[in-house]
Amino acid sequence: MGSRDNILARIKANKPDAIGLPQIDDTLFDDEYDLIKEFTKKVEVVGGNVLEAQSNQDILKQITTLIPNTVVNFSTLSDSLDFNTINLEAIKNPQELEDLDILILESDLGVAENGAVWVTDKNLPIRVLPFITKHLVFVISKENIVPYMHQAYNKLSESSSGFGVFISGPSKTADIEQSLVIGAHGALSLTIFLKN
Amino acid sequence: MSHSKLASIFNKDEKRVDWHDKALWFVRHKRDLSVHQVKGWEELRNLGHGIKAHMLSNLDSYLIEFEENAIKNGVEVHWAANGEEHNQIVHKILKENNAKKVVKSKSMLTEECHLNPFLEADGIEVIDTDLGERIVQLAKEPPSHIVLPAIHKNKHEVDELFQEHLGTKPCDGDPQYLTREARKHLREKFIEADAAITGVNFAIAETGGFVVCTNEGNADMGAHLAPVHIACMGVEKIIPKQEHLGVFLRLLARSATGQPITTYSSHFNKPRKGAKMHIVIVDNGRSEQLSRPDFRASLHCIRCGACMNTCPIYRRSGGHSYDATIPGPIGSILSPGKDLTKHSSLPFASTLCGSCSDVCPVKIDIHSQLYKWRQIITKETPQPFIKKKSMEIMGKIFAKPAQFEKVGKIARWSLRNLPKSMINSKPNAWGKARDLPTGPKQSFDEWYNERENNKKKD
Ligand code: SF4
Repeated sequence: MGSRDNILARIKANKPDAIGLPQIDDTLFDDEYDLIKEFTKKVEVVGGNVLEAQSNQDILKQITTLIPNTVVNFSTLSDSLDFNTINLEAIKNPQELEDLDILILESDLGVAENGAVWVTDKNLPIRVLPFITKHLVFVISKENIVPYMHQAYNKLSESSSGFGVFISGPSKTADIEQSLVIGAHGALSLTIFLKN
Repeated sequence: MSHSKLASIFNKDEKRVDWHDKALWFVRHKRDLSVHQVKGWEELRNLGHGIKAHMLSNLDSYLIEFEENAIKNGVEVHWAANGEEHNQIVHKILKENNAKKVVKSKSMLTEECHLNPFLEADGIEVIDTDLGERIVQLAKEPPSHIVLPAIHKNKHEVDELFQEHLGTKPCDGDPQYLTREARKHLREKFIEADAAITGVNFAIAETGGFVVCTNEGNADMGAHLAPVHIACMGVEKIIPKQEHLGVFLRLLARSATGQPITTYSSHFNKPRKGAKMHIVIVDNGRSEQLSRPDFRASLHCIRCGACMNTCPIYRRSGGHSYDATIPGPIGSILSPGKDLTKHSSLPFASTLCGSCSDVCPVKIDIHSQLYKWRQIITKETPQPFIKKKSMEIMGKIFAKPAQFEKVGKIARWSLRNLPKSMINSKPNAWGKARDLPTGPKQSFDEWYNERENNKKKD
């Protein structure tokens, strides 16, 4: 407890006089995007892929053609029992997901300005899933794409979750002489299906 | 050692300097392209600055609010006055959980506290998992940049390091192959880890949660697999509300690498079922920096690295020449606050061109703070004899116009007529790496008067 109180007392003594908190005015940033066009462009810029789909069956069909012959698959889509090769309820340690090939997740928020997709504990049965999988697939409705991060956080303000993440593109690194390599520790590829 | 001495070591390899300079300028250029696409970028920077200034003026209450909410979320909160205490807290948590293998995601704070050697001394294995950090860890070097830790190494050096430590095949520095091998190597470490340590990019008072940004996904691989997650943060990482993330996440990656956002922006609020989460809140000199009105804005820093990428001195002297965890322009403000004598040369490692302040996403007046440190340092620390004497003499000469004119005449004549060996002699530090110009025949005064006279004649 000693350090806590000391630190707080020192900060209190050393801080400047009160300075007001600025308000965020979203309208300053509005570029009047075509949301779907901008979102698609940004996902591609960050190394991902955007496709259209009519139904869940359509998504499963397209993804198995795109990434064929995978062994360990999991999807949270409602009618994907044929697709899933693992039962998450039987998984005791997240480490057991090490060989996951494809993960399909639903999201209800995407951001046009940076191609990021939001997922939380709510649609994420085990937290490590989207990071440990080789190929990551998101499904999102077009109406759930917002223009900027500001609107995204306005939508999030009510829901509180244990864990949530914005994911924009597959994992990447440029740590070896600044050459961009897709696929560092996380997903090697990212595909996003847009539904009407 | 002074910055200029360390820089001259880096400068010995001219090719490397050239390449380092270009690599960083490339990143700066990507930043420009990216921010020019954002409507209202300046307003966004103003917001970033304003929110941080407000936060500092109310920091104690926000920290208390953050702590309360974090505890409600089931997170254990610890406080450390300095690096030593931070290390002991982390060590204690690891011991309690019987953790011997630790995966660490990039955190400049743990670097600042020298956590790795502290834990390693007790036989705990600490693996840095950001690829750049892993590279410098294998090379037994500190990072040379806060966003690009291994920017000073070329791919052939990485190739050799990996052959030696990871048993890879020689590959002529193929980044694709080397990254794949690193992925395999580090996956093993993630799977085996007993605990994960991460930094914190933003901590939110309103929710008690914190955000960690990475491109590789290493923070998440560590935190969601290991049974214990320890997050270490400086007191200044607090922001009031979650909605403020909208401002900072828009600013951070664009300023750092030109990306619209980092690949992963992970919001940790509660520990996952069956796992533990700890937060260590660290002061280590920050509250003291808060007491200095001229320098407190340096605590706004969100560690994007933009000021380093743009700094003409940093690009040509390399991060190691700053001999500090945070190098470059912002480091040159932070370091003297910690140890004025050791870091007295850093505020002089700047051209004061102001480029750092121009790119800073939270509008820190970096170059004017460097100028202010210079004034303090010249007063408070002993200056080299030649510098002190020459300044004294210059001051006297400037004070008397007639004398200045006389000395100017001699100087112009000398520059034209004396041999180079005399002009670029030892006491003349300016002549070390450059030739001085040939002295003009006229002084500016003479030229101006002549021009005015000619005008009258016309
Ligand atoms: S001082 Fe500004 S530009 Fe430099 S790292 Fe910090 S936030 Fe970025």
